[in-house]
Amino acid sequence: MRVRDVNKVELVKQKAIELLVKVGFEGFTMNKLAKSCKISVATLYIYYQDKDDLVLKIGMEEVQRMSDIMLEDFDPDSSFVDGLRQQWKNRAKCLLENPLSAQMMEQLRTSTYQQKILETFGKNFKEPLGRFLHNSIERGEIDPMPFETYWSVAFAPLYNLIRFHNEGQSMGGKPFVLNDEVLWKTFDLVANAFRK
Amino acid sequence: MKNILLFKTNIRTQEDKYALSILMESNEITQWTVDQQDVDCVLRIVSATLELQTVIQLLSDNGYQCEELT
Repeated sequence: MRVRDVNKVELVKQKAIELLVKVGFEGFTMNKLAKSCKISVATLYIYYQDKDDLVLKIGMEEVQRMSDIMLEDFDPDSSFVDGLRQQWKNRAKCLLENPLSAQMMEQLRTSTYQQKILETFGKNFKEPLGRFLHNSIERGEIDPMPFETYWSVAFAPLYNLIRFHNEGQSMGGKPFVLNDEVLWKTFDLVANAFRK
Repeated sequence: MKNILLFKTNIRTQEDKYALSILMESNEITQWTVDQQDVDCVLRIVSATLELQTVIQLLSDNGYQCEELT
């Protein structure tokens, strides 16, 4: 009996992410992936039905894995500043330690797979983040505001710092490496912006 | 254990796929997919009973190229 080789599945996943980021969805083929894994194309088709099936399955697994990291130790009932700090910590860790996966997520968000990806993110985040925001408003820590306003003020600065970091430069080509000092200074400014 | 049978084909167009779906249905092959984004238009069949040669013969008789994907 042929058994599913866990190491091989993991290798395929890693190489698929690398290849997707490198050549995009259009340029991605099962042949190229098989070559980079040094396995036969037939082996890939034993694991996956076709290219769409492969991209979606691997994409969804990564979304789930990244969601889990982002929600680690996050308590929706904590104070606003503590909860937001934990979110920053998790998101920074997740994105800085998984740059390729993060890049693939971005590609997926702007592709034909967008709907399924957003559904999975929504399923994971809607309840805890919604409850967190609701609690913070109920306790009078922050003013009522649309979720989109909250999200943009809360996370856009963080995502932008990470983008600068990944690109190795900020405005006008100035070299940039994100360190704790810059990260938490920015966080303080964001937290202050919410204060009533 | 169910076997997965894999073939290189020339099922390139939607019309080809439609014709194939009729062929599959009439031969009671239910679990099949064809990857039309791939250069080899890989046909994948999950079946505990089908033989490679039966599928190759079936497609060839209906005017399609079909060989085992190795």
